[in-house]
Amino acid sequence: MIYSLLILSPSVSGHGSRLGAEFARSAIARGHSIRRVFFLDAATTASSCNSIFAQDELNPAQAWEALHEEHAVELVICISSALKYGMLDDTEADRHGRPCASVNPAFTVSGLGQLVDACANSDRLMTFGG
Amino acid sequence: MVLHTLSAAPSGAAFNDCLKVLQAGDTLVLFGDGVYAALEGTAACDKLRATQAELFVLESDARLAGIAKTAANISWLDMDGLVALTERFPRQLAWY
Repeated sequence: MIYSLLILSPSVSGHGSRLGAEFARSAIARGHSIRRVFFLDAATTASSCNSIFAQDELNPAQAWEALHEEHAVELVICISSALKYGMLDDTEADRHGRPCASVNPAFTVSGLGQLVDACANSDRLMTFGG
Repeated sequence: MVLHTLSAAPSGAAFNDCLKVLQAGDTLVLFGDGVYAALEGTAACDKLRATQAELFVLESDARLAGIAKTAANISWLDMDGLVALTERFPRQLAWY
């Protein structure tokens, strides 16, 4: 089956980001494919390339990056949320006159249409919040 | 038939909202802070069982919360099991 995921929790608190990444890895292990993972609201902070976690703390952002590198999972952050949380790729940093990007290159900045497309072209949409 | 997932604690509004629509034939998976509803002897646990829905709790999250044993009629589930449930259910309702 084709799955897409909607992540609503920030990576620094709550459970949604961690659980979503664990779910994606298990789904792939069972032979499913992940069409897209869409990060909305505070969940967009998972894309920060500036977050530093203590070595003994679980870092969901690393789990997402690994899924992208190992399985080419597409990670998309909502542009309107991302801008509010200071998550800028090179294009947005340039457009808004900021000195540097803050988004991990494993993530793509795009619009809500990507979520609609993911829903329309997946067998399952799983939402992880809280 | 709907697959419900609850990641909010029983003290939160999401728990009561979930309870209102949960019914026999549905399946509920507790994870995150939702695992506290799997504690035997709590009002939350009794309310969930009264719905006659099929009840699961994510074992890894429950053990992190210090829950070593689930209440009667609530089964352990691992992440692989959650994926298997989503293969059965076309729709998920996420309560958080």
